[in-house]
Amino acid sequence: MSENIASQNLNVDMDVQARSSDSRGGARGGVSLRLRTYGKQLLPPALAFAVFVGGWELFCRLAGIKPYLLPKPSDIVHAAAENAPNLWVSVYTTISEAVLGFLISIVLGVGFAVLLASSKLIERSVYPYAIIMQTIPIVAIAPLIVIWFGAGMNAIVIIAFLIGFFPMLSNTLVGLNSTDHNMKNLFHLYNASRMQTMFRLRIPAALPYIVAGLKISCTLAVIGAIVGEYIAGIGGGNGGLGYAITVSASRLQTAYLFACGLSASLLGIAFFLLVNAFSKWMLSSWHESEMGSEG
Amino acid sequence: MESLQTYAPLGDSGAQHLVRMEGLSKVYPNGTVAVQDVNLAIREGEFLSFVGPSGCGKSTIFKMITGLTGPTGGMLEVLGTSPKQALKRSDTAFVFQDHTLLPWNTVIDNVTLPLALRGVARKEQRTEAERVLELVGLKDYAKAMPRQLSGGMKMRVSIARALVSRPKLLLMDEPFGALDEITRQTLQLELLNIWRQDRKMTVLFVTHNVFEAVFLSTRVVVMTPRPGKVAAVVEVPVPYPRDENFRTTPEFGQLVRAVSEGLKH
Ligand SMILES: Nc1ncnc2c1ncn2[C@@H]1O[C@H](COP(=O)(O)OP(=O)(O)OP(=O)(O)O)[C@@H](O)[C@H]1O
Ligand SMILES: [Mg+2]
Repeated sequence: MSENIASQNLNVDMDVQARSSDSRGGARGGVSLRLRTYGKQLLPPALAFAVFVGGWELFCRLAGIKPYLLPKPSDIVHAAAENAPNLWVSVYTTISEAVLGFLISIVLGVGFAVLLASSKLIERSVYPYAIIMQTIPIVAIAPLIVIWFGAGMNAIVIIAFLIGFFPMLSNTLVGLNSTDHNMKNLFHLYNASRMQTMFRLRIPAALPYIVAGLKISCTLAVIGAIVGEYIAGIGGGNGGLGYAITVSASRLQTAYLFACGLSASLLGIAFFLLVNAFSKWMLSSWHESEMGSEG
Repeated sequence: MESLQTYAPLGDSGAQHLVRMEGLSKVYPNGTVAVQDVNLAIREGEFLSFVGPSGCGKSTIFKMITGLTGPTGGMLEVLGTSPKQALKRSDTAFVFQDHTLLPWNTVIDNVTLPLALRGVARKEQRTEAERVLELVGLKDYAKAMPRQLSGGMKMRVSIARALVSRPKLLLMDEPFGALDEITRQTLQLELLNIWRQDRKMTVLFVTHNVFEAVFLSTRVVVMTPRPGKVAAVVEVPVPYPRDENFRTTPEFGQLVRAVSEGLKH
């Protein structure tokens, strides 16, 4: 018996060594390869960008287009630099609203989903609505929120939250209900309580779905914040990007409008990449498809 | 907090039999007769295999023993009581064809799961987990994640998880079905060794493989499909420990033939 086990261990050891040396070899070969592919991947889009911006600048100058119709790229940079302090405040305001709305939508979305999924009866009666609700265009009822909560930060955060809430809720619900049948049986056979099954099995198993919800909601939260500012933005020193956009549009400050729009896009992209990186890190502990190489 | 060492005594009646089936039948709502008139009395410490082609009701019998589905006829007694009551005593453990390890938990956290669910103290969980990981030869892999293990190693972890609660009844539904022949034979030997160290443990083992059934068991129950009936019960009167040499004896060949005969009905 003991001999048998010892030889078994040996086999197993060799197996694992073979695997890890494999992956190390793979990583070493991969570095230069990766640099090369990065170069191949980054260079063409960078060139395309340069050509596009250069063409735009040239076109505006040669055709003599009025800057309030289509500003030159140089006008936009100029406008951004001139109003840098204001722009920065606007960006900061919008980020705070979006992040706050996003965080609330995570907490309430996941929380409600867990609550709903804990009771078969509640879930069966509410589930269809929760799935359908995510298609409601929150923007359409945004003015109502302004009536209820008054213009300003509160209403904007609530709009950003609502727009991200339903995708969070329905994704989490779907995830909680997609637990592997055999695993559920196993927990049942070992006399697990509802709570134990929820926290030890269903929630961890739903993680990939929750993460998919995060990616959707974080983009929507930025949109929600900006749209919220269109309707409920208050001026003064610290209006957000949405507010700055409406104001510059009404004053025909098109270059600054472009600067604000670009900032909003960059903000949205940066926020998404951040959430994406966080999701990868969170899933890497167990989910195969997102698995990195192991030391 | 429960102690692992104390076994609840069996019910007064039928103490000599761990599982009793009398005229046991199961007809699914759609009319499928999965199990018909099965009579079996399983003694404590037996290693009993069920062999039979796909669809003859082997898994259905297991589902009834664990109370996942109720019989539609006859009597079924597990650990001297009803299947549902028996399940609550935590004296039964399970290994399926699919290893069903939680991918987000380490090997040791997977193994301690049955104890954690029962609220056993953490220290005791660890001691017991280390004991069973040693038994299956994986004590150096306590901190590994399941995805780092080969199929055979995952099955070992799954077996360790079943053994951790010192079960009286171990149900195994085609546990080695997904493994290659060499790994399968190694694990058969290991399973026999583990079982022999605790002769109070009764093993019910489902397989498609006649050789596997004869090699492992004290008795082989041969089943035929549609309706799922017991065609024959073949005793394997070969003493343990059994090793690789048993596979090449004439006796082994005869027993395999006897079981295969039963399958032809
Ligand atoms: N929930 C169910 N509802 C209806 N019929 C079922 C159900 N589960 C199993 N059956 C049927 O009952 C019969 C026995 O199924 P069972 O799973 O017990 O077979 P098995 O012997 O375990 O087969 P295998 O070797 O393929 O696992 C089959 O004909 C199957 O189609
Ligand atoms: Mg089966």
